[in-house]
Amino acid sequence: MSSPTPVSLKALEPLLAIEGLHKAYGDGPRILSDVSMRFKRGEFVVILGLSGAGKSTFLRCLNRLIEPTEGRIMVPSELVTGGNGEMDVARMSDRQLRRWRRKVGMIFQQFNLVKRLSVFDNVLSGSLGYQALLPSVARWFPGVDRARALANLERVGLLEQAYQRADTLSGGQQQRVAIARALMQRPAVILADEPVASLDPKLSVVILDILKRVAQEDGITVLVSLHVLELARRYADRVIGFQGGRVVFDGRPDELTDAAIERIYRRDDEDAPVPV
Amino acid sequence: MSLPAVPATAPPPEPPRAAPPRPPRRFWRSAAIALVMAWLMVWAFSGVQVNLEELIRGTPEMAETLGRMLPPDFTRVTDPAVYDRPPELSVPELLLPVPLELDKANAKAYWWQNTFPQTIIGATLQTIQMALAGTVLALLVAFPVAFLGARNTSPHPVVYHVVKFFTNFFRTIPDFAAALVLVAAIGLGPFAGTLALAFHTATVLIKLFAEAIEGIDEGVVEALKATGARYMQVLSFAVVPQVMPAFISFLLYRFETNIRAAAVLGMIGAGGIGFLMVSDFRMFQYPQASMTVVVLIVLVMGVDYLSSQLRKMVT
Repeated sequence: MSSPTPVSLKALEPLLAIEGLHKAYGDGPRILSDVSMRFKRGEFVVILGLSGAGKSTFLRCLNRLIEPTEGRIMVPSELVTGGNGEMDVARMSDRQLRRWRRKVGMIFQQFNLVKRLSVFDNVLSGSLGYQALLPSVARWFPGVDRARALANLERVGLLEQAYQRADTLSGGQQQRVAIARALMQRPAVILADEPVASLDPKLSVVILDILKRVAQEDGITVLVSLHVLELARRYADRVIGFQGGRVVFDGRPDELTDAAIERIYRRDDEDAPVPV
Repeated sequence: MSLPAVPATAPPPEPPRAAPPRPPRRFWRSAAIALVMAWLMVWAFSGVQVNLEELIRGTPEMAETLGRMLPPDFTRVTDPAVYDRPPELSVPELLLPVPLELDKANAKAYWWQNTFPQTIIGATLQTIQMALAGTVLALLVAFPVAFLGARNTSPHPVVYHVVKFFTNFFRTIPDFAAALVLVAAIGLGPFAGTLALAFHTATVLIKLFAEAIEGIDEGVVEALKATGARYMQVLSFAVVPQVMPAFISFLLYRFETNIRAAAVLGMIGAGGIGFLMVSDFRMFQYPQASMTVVVLIVLVMGVDYLSSQLRKMVT
């Protein structure tokens, strides 16, 4: 599982195709406006933008923690129901949506671990989507998954802390547990919403190093929202800039010119589209 | 204290500013509130027929009654004769679960069910049993229902409103009133009292539990939904661990309350120590009645202490 997979042909396949994504609450302003883009397998994408630019909403639309108002999110059917072809996340049934969510790991700014449970149980909770209902509700997991949980803890360097309560860990350690929890899902995609915004710069590097490494090893597509330009330049294969709910930049980190940065970090609320 | 010298280059006097906003005057409103409150006090005290004269005249009598109650009759607890052991049974045979012949077993059952609960110790134990059984029955109902009656975990808003309405409605029925109905329906004895306690406690626990559930950190719920976990799995992992300390604390608190309530319920014939106290007072057996009071005080204090210690452990 942890053997570093060389870039295969699969790595170039498209994984997510987003077309015309809109989000607004009632008649309110558009939080996302006409977002269209494609992501390939194994890409490490950094999403840049000020708070309120729509980064969080965009990420949450992809696993429908927030319901998009309009638009399609096409994903390969093999990840959901098996078989060839594509499916639209926005039109999935509850059952299909749960199956899609199993393949989408999520990392949060506030870590969102269950504080009163052990690190081990927190990691195991990542496999809930695959478990039989009754045993898992009683917090019983098959030996295979318990072994995987320990393996994933080892990958983030926290095997020693497996049986400690989650709230005894530091912030940086809690975020590593959250990564191990996401890995339990055998994800095709990891969505990381400001994963280092609550951590100091040194720890930010540690977390992003781990995220990048496991993503490369497992061929996972990572979409991570950040607001620190330096970190984006350092880690991204591709940078996407959001401003006022629109995509105002999409390119390699070395293409982030001063003008592009200016567009992303502009503080006005004009709706004028900026050509990319 | 000497004032600091004014610096030679004193700042120019500030230009006159607009008058600061004046606090609003609320004299008439305050006066009206005071008047209404005064009238309420007069109304309440006239209704209860305060009569200082009678209180003063009654004081020596009160002292006399208290004097007759003291000292408490400790032999009601300590004297073996009180326990009226059937002569054919030895003490170990009576207290331990040993095999016995049929007639001995019958005598033993009769003693446990009828003789022992008439003693102070027996009635006290029965009161504890009532409070414990009533609280556990209430828990069995309240635990699942609370998730339906909490806004954030209810499967549907209609379910939430229905649960909320019925628990609010039934909570208005005091356990004492429920016990009166149940004693009439299923007869005198601890079972009626236990059901009454369970009924009222369930409605209270549902409310307290649901409020605890509504106060959880929703981020964890979001995180688990995002893994593809189902409803019951999210409850088990994200909600239950967060509310557990509060649930245990509420449960212990209600157990304490139910000990007191069970003692009172005895007075209307629903079993336990309250019944003994009332009958002793009615038969003017004051030292015996005061012994019952002493045991009740010890019991309540003991349970309060224990439960506060336990509650400290769970936080």
